[in-house]
Amino acid sequence: MKTRRTFLRQTGAALTGAMLLPALPGCAPGSPLAHIKGQLWGPDAATGHLLRDPSRIPAPSRTVETEVLIVGGGVAGLAARRWLHRHGQPNTLLVELASHTGGNSAAGHNATSAYPWGAHYLPVPDVRNRELLDFLQEIGTLTGYAPSGLPIYSDYHLCHDPEERLNISGHWQEGLVPAVGLSTTDQQQFARFFKLIEDLKAARGRDGREAFCIPLDHASADNEYRQLDQISFADYLVRENFTALALRWYLDYACRDDYGATATQVSAWAGLHYFASRKGRAHNATGADVLTWPQGNNFLVEHLRKQATAPLQTGTLAYDLRETATGIEALLYDVATRQSTRVRARQVLLATPQHIAHRLLATVPGHALLPPGALHHAPWLIANLTVEGLPQGPGRPLSWDNVRYGSASLGYINATQQALQQEDGRSKVITLYWPLTEEASGPARRRAYQTTYAEWLPRVVAELETYHPGVTKHIQQADLWVWGHGMVAPTPGLLWGPARAAAHQPLRNRIFFAHTDYSGISIFEEGFYQGIRAAREILATASSIS
Amino acid sequence: MGESGLLVAPPALQEEPAHPAPQPPGLLLVAVAVIATCGLIYELIAGTLASYLLGDSVTQFSTIIGAYLFAMGIGSWLSKFLDGQLLRWFIRLEILVGVVGGCMAPVLFLSFEYVASFRLLLYTLVGLTGVLVGLEIPLLMRILEHRFPFKDLVARVFTFDYIGALLASLIFPLVLVPQLGLIRTSLLFGALNLAVAGVVLARFPETRPYRRRFTTGIVVALGGLGVLFVFANELLAHTETLAFQDQVIYSKSTPYQRIVLTRNPRELRLFLNGNLQFSSADEYRYHEALVHPLLQALPQARRVLVLGGGDGLAVRELLKYSRLTSIRLVDLDPGMTQLFQHNELLLGLNKKSLLSPKVQVLNADAYQWVREDTARYDAIIVDFPDPGNYSIGKLYSAAFYTALAKRLAPGGRMVVQSTSPYLARQSFWCVAHTLAAVGLHTIPYHLYVPSFGEWGFVLAGPDTHWRGDAGPLPAGLRYITPATIHDMLRFPPDMSEVPTEVNQLNNQALVRYFEEDWGPYVH
Repeated sequence: MKTRRTFLRQTGAALTGAMLLPALPGCAPGSPLAHIKGQLWGPDAATGHLLRDPSRIPAPSRTVETEVLIVGGGVAGLAARRWLHRHGQPNTLLVELASHTGGNSAAGHNATSAYPWGAHYLPVPDVRNRELLDFLQEIGTLTGYAPSGLPIYSDYHLCHDPEERLNISGHWQEGLVPAVGLSTTDQQQFARFFKLIEDLKAARGRDGREAFCIPLDHASADNEYRQLDQISFADYLVRENFTALALRWYLDYACRDDYGATATQVSAWAGLHYFASRKGRAHNATGADVLTWPQGNNFLVEHLRKQATAPLQTGTLAYDLRETATGIEALLYDVATRQSTRVRARQVLLATPQHIAHRLLATVPGHALLPPGALHHAPWLIANLTVEGLPQGPGRPLSWDNVRYGSASLGYINATQQALQQEDGRSKVITLYWPLTEEASGPARRRAYQTTYAEWLPRVVAELETYHPGVTKHIQQADLWVWGHGMVAPTPGLLWGPARAAAHQPLRNRIFFAHTDYSGISIFEEGFYQGIRAAREILATASSIS
Repeated sequence: MGESGLLVAPPALQEEPAHPAPQPPGLLLVAVAVIATCGLIYELIAGTLASYLLGDSVTQFSTIIGAYLFAMGIGSWLSKFLDGQLLRWFIRLEILVGVVGGCMAPVLFLSFEYVASFRLLLYTLVGLTGVLVGLEIPLLMRILEHRFPFKDLVARVFTFDYIGALLASLIFPLVLVPQLGLIRTSLLFGALNLAVAGVVLARFPETRPYRRRFTTGIVVALGGLGVLFVFANELLAHTETLAFQDQVIYSKSTPYQRIVLTRNPRELRLFLNGNLQFSSADEYRYHEALVHPLLQALPQARRVLVLGGGDGLAVRELLKYSRLTSIRLVDLDPGMTQLFQHNELLLGLNKKSLLSPKVQVLNADAYQWVREDTARYDAIIVDFPDPGNYSIGKLYSAAFYTALAKRLAPGGRMVVQSTSPYLARQSFWCVAHTLAAVGLHTIPYHLYVPSFGEWGFVLAGPDTHWRGDAGPLPAGLRYITPATIHDMLRFPPDMSEVPTEVNQLNNQALVRYFEEDWGPYVH
């Protein structure tokens, strides 16, 4: 069992590693990390920041027209584009700042394997999420329905066993719920918590709707549950006497995993939602199972993209937006050609984070967007490490998700988990997830942007060494990716305060909004839902006009 | 060699019968005993090694002894061409015998993997050692000829020669092989030959002119043998001899597994990652049971797919059906299929099955290969290692069987090796239930394989038409008859069906059962 002292010692070690950075330029010849190749990747923050000072961008040299301009090619934007394509509005133009669409569901690949640069799994969905199930069926993830009516998922897309393991004091146990060295009190608290979750899964409010569900907009408005959004998850746990250290670690881990924020930072409603909303059912899997791919959710967003043929421009920044008599006019800057284009559209869908939408609508009145800084987005570091051999400790073998109790990062997933080939001792790719939650998101983000590859690498390697002592010499390549705005955190009051719902109200049937920022929870299902919601709003105006 | 040495000193100087020192001739007689012991030891080592490595100990011993004695005869005849400084020739000879004989066992062990030339190498070494040993006694007799009357000379030399032979034949099986093993024995006796050279060099004053140069050679050779002697265990550990009950005759690490062949006088055994794959003594039971219940019921079968089975033993059974036109074998590891295509010992076992023109051998990962294959087969034989890890567990999953069933031609059928229904009862029935879960009709059966224990297979096909007495069996089978097939279908209560989960990629139920089932036997 981990004690507070060992935790402090390990944290101390990590800090020492961080302080050594200036003296240890990672890739210098002769350093113990000199053999590791790699580089630092990340979204094009510099181009994105042009938005702050658009006067540096050249004036438009041509004009194009479209019915619906979609700004932002993340899950919400792609889902909206697909939905519009299928429901009578194929005349759209999607622009995306990054060189790839898919937002957080980015992916890369090397000679060993494809690997995710962000979102990497989808829990077995709720069977009532019709739109999502249909999409999964179209792309072969859902292969059919059993006579019971339950969906059957492809064996190749359901996460292969062994799924999860947790390293406690050097020993790997199965599953992420700590099971080794628990006192009776600890065990009772775990049992009480999971009983609470089972009750909450079944709970319905006085309005007859479920207390927790995905998408969360369908959840009950009953104040009995919504008032849980007013306090932090950490305070709630103290109030309900969930004090066991192991339980608190586990729940904090869950919050960091799904929200990039700690139990102190997210609301109790959100903390419980993580567990109580997992109601997926399937003929050949349970709600606890997940769907995953070597390239992570890039598999899903690539299919979303391919399911519509409307034009799509990456590497393109939308930097100005104004209303005209017939619709809207937007200015786009092509990062590659360094030229600007004017777009005339009847409608625009802003499928961007709220702070981007806020800047774009600087001169547009009437919106209720939250100002930049109002939403908490923790920065994330993702490391894809190509390792030749991974020295294993005692206990369970390499699994899909590998976490160390008390670790600063969230642990790593094995990108080669779904591979069907026989293990041959050749290299594999593991993906380390690290939300930078130690300090407030603003300073953390600035620091993350300023940190160089040579400074990150020793930290990443030191972290992996706590998982597998001696692993350094097995690391062949370490590519790193920093997300400045990783994902929105459902801080207290965000989900069920009035501001969230108000923010995505369409403006004069011309400007629409879709992004997980409007859900307050950044998961594929919510992005997919937000995109379809906005697309339906757009289609509704079209039918009302005609 | 030594042309200049011959010229250094006139012959008269070193062969001085006028002042025979009393000690050196006695010393030379002791040397006779030592070199005789060494000579016989080399012969025994060669014979033992040949029967270890090639089997059939009577033939091997007989031919090795014959070749060795004949080579000694050649050596004796060649001795007449040696003239001049005989003592000097003798010392040279001892150094050579020490190096060649001493290194014989390590060289033969390490080179066995390059099997194509093994017999040639074996007989070359045996011949060379024999020639050198054959030179020794005639040379010694000529060195001693002026120091004893002829009748004494002959009597003494041969007395010591036979004493040495007796000593060798007693200590070799009783002390040397059990205590030192073949490699160290070989090295030790090489060192004794060198020691003889050293002592003669030191004790005979006439060796003084070339003493320094020869001493250096002896020390270097002794050092080499000594290093090999010290590291013999590492050498053996490399071949994993210590981990196996029997003599390891081949071992190789491929990216996928460690292949080890062992042999004892009765049988040859193949281990993959330490797990017994077959014993030549009873593998016919396993492979007949794997192949014939399936094939006898498919009189129309022409095309067969074998997954795993890189030893070619299942293919050997398949080739007994002349109606088959094509057999495709897919095995992950080229290390396996190449071994069973080239090693003459193993070619004897699989009857060169993998070299048959009907057989196509592919080295590929079965899972991906099956998913990409488009051909149809009348029979599919699945002979994978036991599901001992999550990687292999995928090859026993419902998803894999679904992909495999699509490769069956109409009326086709498959059989799956399914581990032991007695030792791993849940695992066995889990395989059967997984095949049933993908819509196949299953027929589980089992038999007793002495080196494995009870072993099980599951026949699976799209219909219920299989019969155990459907068609004629090939002639000459040693285990399978219609009656045996009938018996194999019955499961006594201690192996009877137990409820299990279906093995899926996302639960790997089989690997978990397998760990539970085998847990009590490995801890």
